This record gives sequence, structure tokens and C-alpha cells, in this order.
Amino acid sequence: MNPNVRIRELQRDKCNFVLSGVNLGFANSFRRTMMADIPTVAIDMVVFEVNTTVLPDEFIAHRLGMIPLISTNCDEGMRYTRDCDCELGCPLCMVVLTLHVRCDMPGTTMNITSDHLQIQSGGDAWGGEELTKRGEDFGLPVSKSRGFNGHPILIASLRKGQELKIRCEAKKGIAKDHAKWSPCTALGFEYDPYNKLRHTTYWFETDKQAEWPLSANAEEEEPPREDAPFDYNAEPNKFYFNVETDGSLTAKEVILKSLSNMQSRTATLVYNIKHQSRPDAMDTTDAPAFPPAGQRTSGQDQSYTNASGWGASPNTSGANMGWASPNATAQGGWSL
Amino acid sequence: MDDGNEDWTNLARPYRGLRPSDPIKSVEDKWLLLPAFLKVKGLVKQHIDSFNYFVDYDLRAIMEANCKVTSDVDPRFHFLFTDIRVGTPVSEQADFANQRQPITPHQCRLRDATYSAPLMVDIEYIRDNKRIQRKDVVIGRIPIMLRSNKCVLAGANESQLAVMNECPLDPGGYFVVKGTEKVILVQEQLSKNRIIVEIDSAKSIISASVTSSTHSGLKSKTYVNMRKGLIVLKHNSFSEDIPIVIALKALGVQSDKEILLLCAGNTESYQEAFSPNLEESSRAGVYTIQQAREWLGARVRSMRRMVGPRRPNWEEGLECLVMIVLTHVPVVNMDLSAKAIYVATMTRRVLMAHEDPKLVDDRDYVGNKRLELAGQLLALLFEDLFKAYVSELKKAFDKVLGKPARTSAFDPHTTMLLHGNPITQGFIRAISTGNWSLKRFRMERAGVTHVLSRLSYISALGMMTRISSQFEKTRKVSGPRALQPSQWGMLCPSDTPEGEACGLVKNLALMTHITTDVEEKPLVKIITLLGVEDIQLSTGSEIYGPTSFVVHLNGLIIGLTRFPSRFVAQFRKLRRAGRINEFVGIYINHHHKTVNIASDGGRICRPLIIVERMQPKVTNEHIQMLKLGKLAFEDFLHQGLVEYVDVNEENDSHIALYEKDIEPSTTHLEIEPFTILGAVAGLIPYPHHNQSPRNTYQCAMGKQAIGAIAYNQLNRIDTLLYLLVYPQQPMVKTKTIELVGYDKLPAGQNATVAIMSYSGYDIEDALILNRASIERGYGRCQVFRKNTAIIRKYPNGTYDRLVAPSKVGTEEKLPKRYEILDDDGLARPGERVDPDDVYVNKQSPKDTVTNSLTVNPAQVEYRPTPLTYKTKVAGYIDRVMITDTDNDQALVKVLIRQTRIPELGDKFSSRHGQKGVVGLIVPQEDMPFNDQGICPDSIMNPHGFPSRMTVGKMIELLAGKAGVLRGTLEYGTAFGGSKVEDMSKILIEHGFSYSGKDMLTSGITGEPLEAGPRAILTRQPTEGRSRDGGLRLGEMERDCLVGYGATQLLLERLMISSDQFQVHACQTCGLMGYNGWCPYCKSSKKMAQLTIPYAAKLLFQELISMNVVPRLIMDDAA
Repeated sequence: MNPNVRIRELQRDKCNFVLSGVNLGFANSFRRTMMADIPTVAIDMVVFEVNTTVLPDEFIAHRLGMIPLISTNCDEGMRYTRDCDCELGCPLCMVVLTLHVRCDMPGTTMNITSDHLQIQSGGDAWGGEELTKRGEDFGLPVSKSRGFNGHPILIASLRKGQELKIRCEAKKGIAKDHAKWSPCTALGFEYDPYNKLRHTTYWFETDKQAEWPLSANAEEEEPPREDAPFDYNAEPNKFYFNVETDGSLTAKEVILKSLSNMQSRTATLVYNIKHQSRPDAMDTTDAPAFPPAGQRTSGQDQSYTNASGWGASPNTSGANMGWASPNATAQGGWSL
Repeated sequence: MDDGNEDWTNLARPYRGLRPSDPIKSVEDKWLLLPAFLKVKGLVKQHIDSFNYFVDYDLRAIMEANCKVTSDVDPRFHFLFTDIRVGTPVSEQADFANQRQPITPHQCRLRDATYSAPLMVDIEYIRDNKRIQRKDVVIGRIPIMLRSNKCVLAGANESQLAVMNECPLDPGGYFVVKGTEKVILVQEQLSKNRIIVEIDSAKSIISASVTSSTHSGLKSKTYVNMRKGLIVLKHNSFSEDIPIVIALKALGVQSDKEILLLCAGNTESYQEAFSPNLEESSRAGVYTIQQAREWLGARVRSMRRMVGPRRPNWEEGLECLVMIVLTHVPVVNMDLSAKAIYVATMTRRVLMAHEDPKLVDDRDYVGNKRLELAGQLLALLFEDLFKAYVSELKKAFDKVLGKPARTSAFDPHTTMLLHGNPITQGFIRAISTGNWSLKRFRMERAGVTHVLSRLSYISALGMMTRISSQFEKTRKVSGPRALQPSQWGMLCPSDTPEGEACGLVKNLALMTHITTDVEEKPLVKIITLLGVEDIQLSTGSEIYGPTSFVVHLNGLIIGLTRFPSRFVAQFRKLRRAGRINEFVGIYINHHHKTVNIASDGGRICRPLIIVERMQPKVTNEHIQMLKLGKLAFEDFLHQGLVEYVDVNEENDSHIALYEKDIEPSTTHLEIEPFTILGAVAGLIPYPHHNQSPRNTYQCAMGKQAIGAIAYNQLNRIDTLLYLLVYPQQPMVKTKTIELVGYDKLPAGQNATVAIMSYSGYDIEDALILNRASIERGYGRCQVFRKNTAIIRKYPNGTYDRLVAPSKVGTEEKLPKRYEILDDDGLARPGERVDPDDVYVNKQSPKDTVTNSLTVNPAQVEYRPTPLTYKTKVAGYIDRVMITDTDNDQALVKVLIRQTRIPELGDKFSSRHGQKGVVGLIVPQEDMPFNDQGICPDSIMNPHGFPSRMTVGKMIELLAGKAGVLRGTLEYGTAFGGSKVEDMSKILIEHGFSYSGKDMLTSGITGEPLEAGPRAILTRQPTEGRSRDGGLRLGEMERDCLVGYGATQLLLERLMISSDQFQVHACQTCGLMGYNGWCPYCKSSKKMAQLTIPYAAKLLFQELISMNVVPRLIMDDAA
């Protein structure tokens, strides 16, 4: 195998490249890793102090969770809450964002957007080298990042007198736990645009060529000759990727992190096979990006293991995010 | 919504997103008449019109018929109701300034009050020899139909409605009684006062029957039956059947010749069939009118004879003929000839059916049906209540007048005020229970009203157009249930439930109107002016002459015409010119040689474009004017371009479906073909491509869809309310969707669907969901549940109270279950409620009986009666409302909210009757995807297609995909919509296959399961998902196991895993005992223990309780 990557287009949040010299299994693992295994930061818990908007707490909490936050170098710059020594969250494993908006203009509605979210500075960091590894504006909504030219994300609309005051705790996670932690939006993946390998059969009425438009990637390959014999030994080895991200990570970072993630997991596997006599072999620190499976399901993964599943329980409200403190005491809303 | 100065009469403004200025393509745009129609008539106009008619006309008519109150004690006593009217809805109690505040429907919903207005009368009476008139005396309150002309919502624009917390899309047409929304469903009945001829082949009887019904509410059914050649008149008040000739003689036709001509005319075969009846009369020795009346009088069922001597038989017979038989035919100055002609006509119809059995009437023909609406039912109810009120009043007056010495002059007004409010209570009771039991009219109907279903916007709308039939559901007859060709355009062919009510419950089509009564007198005048001869001046041979046609008005025989076509044409001309009410129908029946004019209420009709000389009268210019707002639907009617046509007239017309179909004989043109469907079936995209039962299934299922309910949904406090967090308007719309406003209150989401097989968890219609989609909000919904606490006052002066939670002993904190309570004893909004938490901390006095006025209020002892949260899953307090009810009791409503996300077993459905449950939830990386990385939200198994033939769904998928790519909403309107060819072109332009297909890349233990809940009575597993129930192993499944011989499996499924139960039974007597003891034999000798299903044991005990002894005979009991 002689892996080779040719980048056709590279932007901040988009990368289009051709991967060749690898087999199908590797290419698909690569795709799946980019989608599901790259850690990012996303709002995971919301404490409502005042919510007089028309939307219920869970509704807003769910919307907040979906907002992409800048997560540059998240895998090294942050700890999973479950791995952290702290009890209630600390700067090492948590970014606190606050939002306090009140509409006082009569006759108009006011939009709360992701731009209203602010990082709460301060807090003790008990050492830890993680903080130094973070990129700038870590944890800030992507819409507030430098060079962003799009619309901020709408959270809710307010009329006069309505107010929203919340405190959000953003945590590190992966898309296997909840889709909000996925850095990718769409992930295009294709090989063999001419179907030379006959991995699929195209349905057609009269003429296959006329009825099935070729994909853009067909330009990269030789059209098969009409009389070419079918090579049943051929294997796919050229894969066309199109990675688009939501901005929390750059496309480049997603690709690089995925590769190193795969590498470390493979290394763990190899290590464990070699030391299989040791029963605690799975408990490894070699692959911090990928915690052992058992631990994962018992800890964070309640969005689909919780038997009841109805959204209102603390672990499932907004699918594993956005529940408010049950000990709230202040009148009329939630408090800390 | 935009500026608040909306002018609803201005058509230039968009109506539900349809601008009249939308570009025109051809006269095809005549469909714009539909929004214009709905704007005037609305979707539930039939209810509102009927109620308005009741309030504006019927109410006064009923009062006038019962306006006088006399006294048996004082003959000079004079008391008169002179007028009656309904006020505006105001509160029941006056406020501190003695003002009655206007009330809105939403206040009533929240306060569990009745939305009603005072019913006021003007009275006139004599006191101290002076005539006294009083105006606006309130005699009760009448529930007001929402959006009727007495309702505060009538004519309000969107911003005014918003102030009143009302949804502009809500159709109205229902009542708010004790806080619940009640609908009086439209009732379907056989039309009154019309002759129906039927043949009972089993008994070989040909019968012509007519149900007479007049405004005074008397109903009776008269038959003319022919059996073995003999014709008889049959009526309940005669103890035996009356030979027809005797009946006619009693009605004043003495000569046999005249009778023969009246019944049979000059037709030889009819005369032949009739002649044996003439003998029948002479055999009875009846020759003269007097003899006939004597004969008849002897056979009148003895009625309640009042005081006085018994009258001679002939008088008895005459009175019966005048008063009871065929009451709807008027008798003026004791002239019975009209009745005689009527009976003769019935006889002739029997003779005709005898000659040609095809000449019978069809009971199921929609033209023979009348729809009874809220107004008519309320009118009956009011008549009953008013009569009762008047007679009570009379009793009260008599009581006072009967007193020998009165201190002051008698004032009936004060007596009236002291009279309570039986009318108010009567209305409320009838509407809230749905029981119309009016002894006066021998009416005993239950289930007239229903709670308006607010499951979704469409379910509420569907309920307003529903028609229920009076037929018994249990009867296994297919006739009334079958699709009738005459229901075209009037009743929706798709929307009917499955199962026992199939075909009996119907729904109105989109463009229908139900008539109200139109006065007959002016019509008679016009008919006479148009040259119709008086029937009473004609002989039998003239009536049945070759060119003469009999003119009927509402079933009454009015006269004769020799030029029926000209007469009908002139009549129609007058109607189109607006000289005759637009809802008067006229048609020629060539079989009966009659011209029928109908002006009665309850007929279904619909507007059609008039076609003359092969030219539709509506032209492009008219449509242009409509678009510019210079013409409204009314103008089209008044200019004679469009007219209302009822079922009978429709079937006498030649209607072209499209302009291209117009022929020389065409009389009308359809406005738009898709209006044959109702509001619910109109939501289905491409229904004309589907197998018809699928559309019917969809009509039932569309009402269950979760989505938005109304604009005021978050202000409502309903018992149970389901809302979708992110509802979306459908990608593939229909014109109906826009017209009913479903795009503004949608119920559903547009999903990316892959039709493929995946994982095996998708068999039997199960579907696969993408977990990432769910996590991003797909199918997420909120459930709101109402909990009510009433703070009661007790007769002994004590009352319930709400108290702040108190700490126990020296504890720092409150007990956990009291944590969410505020100082007022109510939970704080926004708090989470866990199971067993208290959210209303109510306390009730221990003693509510002993009079405690003497007791110090501080010493009253209380016991806790809190509301605790019983649901297993935590919820959140959404809102807490404190108010008072109409009877002055404090009312606390707590709304608790839960957010639910899709899980295994939840039901999802497309719009084509294709439902399925979630079989598996798959992570996004495992989902199939195309080369662009698009992956589906759900996967549906292709096996759902071949047998169901929902081609419409496939086209919807295609149109939806094309719409997404192009960024447009596509149309799937019935008999139209976006064309498949165009959709394919769009797909090709965007680099997809024209067919919508895509190349996708693909990415248990032996322990028993935890037992589920059981029903209390039968101890069998519960049914239904909501109750966490099991899946039924039904009879057919059982048959499979029996056929296969899997006895142990049967035993396990039907008993061991269900409701296994140990009983002790006695081998001697075969009865069940207990603990090895037979209480019947008083012995424990031959007791055996056996295992049977609990339901079987229950059955035995229930049988025993009914004096049936089931005995167990045991073979080899150990």
C-alpha cells in the first residue's frame, strides 16, 4: 500500500480530496472516524435563572446544544468530565458561557442569537497543561469567531418585557454520544464513479448511461471501454472525500485528528493483543481519545441506554443535555 | 396580522397565502372562486349559519307560538311575551360597578365557564288595570356558538382575535360549556314530507310512506301499502289498515269514478290494478262520505279522551283525518281535497311501482336526505324548555292569583324573577351531556354533542365537517354504508372511519353549504304567477294527462303545469336574478312527471358555474375582477354567473368537469374537481394516484398527527395536549392545505426517506430512524397535561385551603417532595416535578358537615389533600393558573410539561395511510448515504409498496426531492399538482436520476422479560402502547397455532404468560371453592386444584351471578 492524498480544494470548513492507495475498509473507517469520533465542545448543561420567553426551558436548552463552539485542538486542550478530578466541573473540563438578554423595546421583537453567548472568564484552573493547548476563542460560538461571515444562530425571539438569563456549561464529547458533538455536517464519500467494479447495479428503464448522471468525480477516472472485460480481481483504491464541518473545527483539523485517532486506536489494539495475558489491558492510557467501551456506555451514553427515554428525565431531556438544577430556590425561575 | 386594519371584505388581500393577483394561465384559474367561497362561507359555515338562523328567526317563531300565558283562576289575567332576543356574551355576575363585563371564549375555556349570552324577552301584562310593558327581561342564558353573529369573535380581525387569545385559523362553530369545547355534530336523516316508495320483496308489499313533520313538532308516518293487489292506508292512529277507497271517500271524494281517475288516471293498466279496491269498499258497505267517516271513526285508536260525552264516530274519524293524518298537508276551512289528492298521489306512486318495479325510491340517495344542524336541535330544545318555562310560570301565577287576599297588586314580573333559571340549566345540561331527551316531541337522543378533538388542527377541523347517521351501527346492511353516486361533490368519498361506523359517519366536501329554511308563501305566489294551475281545480285525468306535470313545493302538491321546461327555466331565471332565494332548488322528475321545488332546510348544495350556449358565464374578465378585489363571491351569485345547486337539481343537470367537456346540453361547469374531497382528504398529496382504501386510512390517521394545534396553543390549558417542537409545512402541498391553513398549523416534518431494506429490524412496516436526526430535533414533541384542584367551600362554612409547606421537626430543609412548592402552596413554574412530588398543597377540613359557624375558624382541623405527581417520568411545571368558577369556587389549574423524543415503538406515518413503528435507531455513521454525504432521517421498507399501491406517495417523494433541490414548494393537489415529468426534469438538472433513485453507500439472552402491567378486572395484560401493553395474540394467530399443533405454545401464550390462576373446584358439584373447601357441598373431600385463565374464572362467576351454573367436570383430577 502506498497511501496518497491529493487535495482538490481546501477551505476553512471544507476540504475536498482524493485518497488513494488504501483499501475500502480503511477509507470507510476514516469516514466514520471523522463523523463520530472527533471530540468537540458543545453546551451540555444549562441552568436557567430567568426564562420568560415563549419557549420552554428544554426547548431552548436543546437549541443551545446544537450551536457549534470553537473547539480547536479540543482533544488535547480539554478533559472529558468523567476523566477530570474535579467534582462539579472546572476550567479543565468545562467552558462556561452565559447569556442574559432582555427586550425593552416596545413594538418590536428581538432575536436572541448565538452572538449573545459570552464566555465566563475566571475560575480556578488547578494547573493542568490543557489550557495552554487550546486555540484562541476556545469555546466561543463559531458565529463570533474572526473571519466568520454568516448569520448567527437564532435561539429565541423576545417581545417587550421578556428575558432570558442562563448559564451554560459546555463540555467535551464525541458524536457517538450525541450528534451535537459532531464537527462534520455532510461528509461526501465516493469511489468508482463508473461502477467498473460492479459493486452496485444501476436500475434503468432503457439506457443506463442516459438515465444515471455521472458524478463530478468521474472526470478523475478513465471511462471504461465498451468492450473492456470485467476485472473481477480489481479492488477500489481511489476515494473521493468531501469533508464539510460546522466550523467548530477546521476541515483540516478534522482530517488530521481522525488519522491520529485511528492510529492511536490501532496502536491500542496492537498493544492489547501483545499483552493479552494482562486482564486489565483494556484500561489503558495510551489512547486517551478513545475511552474503553464499557466505561463509555455506563457514563455518558444515556441518551440511548436510558430505558425510559422520555425526554424529561435529567439525562435525556434534550438528549443528554440542558437540564436545570433540581435544587433551584429563587422565585419565578431557576437559580444556581 | 400585519397592520390590524384588515378589511375582510377586500379581496385584494391574500387569503391564506393565495393572492388574487397570482398570475393567470387560463380560465383554469376559476378555482380562485374557491378561496372566495371559503372566505364568505368558511369551512364550518353550515354550523354558524344554522345557529344564526335559530337565534335570528326560530327563536322568535317559537316564542310567538307560545307567547300567551293565561290563568285558570282569573280569566281576565293577561300576560304576553312580545319579543325575544339574545344579548352579547357577558359575564354571569355583575362586577362592583354593577356592570356585566363582556366575556371571551378563551376566558370561559380557562375558567371552566359556559360561553353564553343572556336571553331577553319583552313582556306585556296588566297590573292595577294598567297595561305594563317591560323590555329586556332576562329569562335565562343561552350558549353561544363561536363565530356566530352573537359571538364576540364575529368579524374580528387577526389582531383583535390575538387580543382575545383566539386563533384566527380556528373555525368556530362549537360551544364552550363548562370549559369544554362541545360540537353538535351534523345529523343525517331521511327527508320529511316526501313520499318514499319501496318494495319489500320478502312480504311482497309495495309501500309509499311519508313522514309528516310540521313546525309545531308533530310527527307522524303515513303509509299507502299494496299487498296482493289490495291497497290500504296505514297510520298509527288507526287500529287496522283502511282500504284506500274508504280512506278517499272519507276525505271527501265520493264518486268511484273520481277516485279511479285520481289514483290511476286514464292509464288502463293502472286502472286495472286499482279496480279490485273499489269492490273492497262496497264489500264493507261503504258508499258515501258519511259512511266512510263512520267506518273510519270506529277504527280510530281511542285517544286520551278529555271530559265530555263521546262524540259520534264520524266526527272522530273526521277529526283524525284533519288533525293527525298527513299533518303537513294544510286543511283550510275543512276542505280535505288537498289531502285527498295527496293520498291519491301516493296511491298512484304505488301503482306505478307495481307496474314497473324500477320506479321505487332509493332511501340512500343523498337527495332524499336532510341534514340536521345545531340550530335545529337547539330550536327543538328551546321549544321544549320554553314551553316548560311557560307552563311553570302559569302554575306560579295561578298559585298567587288563587290566594284569597293579597297584600299588594300582583306583579307577574317579580314572580318571573323568582323563578330560577331552568332554561339556562336545560341548555347546559343538554349540551354537556349530549342527551336530547324531549318528551314533548318524543325525542330521546344520546350522543348528540361531542368534545371537540384537539389532537391536531386537522382533527378539530375534521370534526366540524363530520356527519353522523341515525342508522343503527349494528345492523348489517350495506345500503346506507355504500358510496352513493349522488354524493359527488357533496360528501367526501374518502373520509369515513373503518369498522362499525364505516359509511355511516361521513364528511362534507370542501365546497358545500347546507341550507336553512326559506319561507314558502312568497314562493307559492311566484309559482302561481308563473302560470301554474291550482291542483284542486283539476280532475284526475287532467292531473295525469299526457302533457301535464304536477308542481310540488317541499313535498306539497301545489298545481299543474303543461310547460314544465319553460316553467323551470323561468323559475331559474328569477332565482339567478336574485328574485328568489339562491338556495331554493328546482328540478323536473320525468318518471313521476313532476316539477319539484325545495326550500326546506338541511339540503346539501354546492356552487357551480352556469353554462349557457356552450359558454361558461364566468370569464377571464370576471376572474381578473375577482383578483383585483372588485368582485366577491356574492357578486358572482347575484350576477347569475354561479348558482347553488342541491343534490336533486344537480342530478337533473348536465355538469361538465372541465371546459373542454362542454357539450350543447351542458348546463353547468365544475368550479374545481378537487372539491369533491373534504378538508381532511384534501391534505393527501396526489390522492388520485392512490388505491382508494389508502386515502380512507389516511383520513383516519391524519387526525392523529402531532403538530401545532392553534395559534393560541400555548395559552390553552387542555387536559392533554401534544405539540411538535419543530413542525414544518409540507414540501408537497395541496391547494386544500393552503385553503384550510394547514401550512400555518402543520402536523409533521419533512424527512429524508430512503426506501430500502436495512438490518431486518424493518419488517412489517417498521422503520429505521437516524439517531443523529432525533438528537437534532426530529420527531421531538412536548406533552402538556392539565391537573385541576378546586378549592371548595362547604355548606357548614368551612373551606379548603392552600398552605405553604412546613418543615418537619428540626430539619433544615423541606422534605424532598415539598421542595418545589412556593409559599402559596403551589409549585413554582419551571420547576421539575419528580414522581410523588406535591405540586398543590391543599388541605381540606376534617369535618364538612357539622355547622361550624360557632366554631373559631382557627380551630378547624384540616387533613392534607395534596395533588401529587403520579406519572413515572418527571415533568416540569409549565404554568399555574388561579381563577374562580361560575359558582364562585376557586380553581387551580397546573399544567405539567414533558419533552419526549422518538424511541423504539413510536408510530410514524406518511400521508398515504402508511404507518409504521420505529424498529431500530441507528447512529448516523451507520446510515447509508449518497456521494454528497446526504443520509436519510428514516428508512422505510420497500415491501410496503407493492400490495398497497400508493403511487401517490412515490410521486410525492419525487416532487419533494425536486422541490428541495430547486428550493420551491411543490403541489400535489388532487387531479392536478406538479407533473411527474417536470419533477424529473428538475432532478436531472441537479444531477440526479430522473426516477428519484440514488446510489447509496452503506456504511439476546434466554431470560424471561420483565412482566408488563395487568388489567385489574381480568388480570390479562393491558392493551395499547400508552398503557405499556402487550401485543395481542388474537383469534387468527391462535388458529395458526392450533393448525400447527403447537399446544404447549398455545398454553403458554394464552394462559401461563397471560392470566394464569389457581382455583379449587369440587368434583362432586363442579363449582369453585376455596382453600380446598367446597362451600356448596360443605366438604373438602373431593376438591381438586386446577389452573385456568383468570378470565375464565371471572366468566364462571359472572354467569353464576346471572343464575347460570357452569359446572366443571373433571376427568382425572389427582
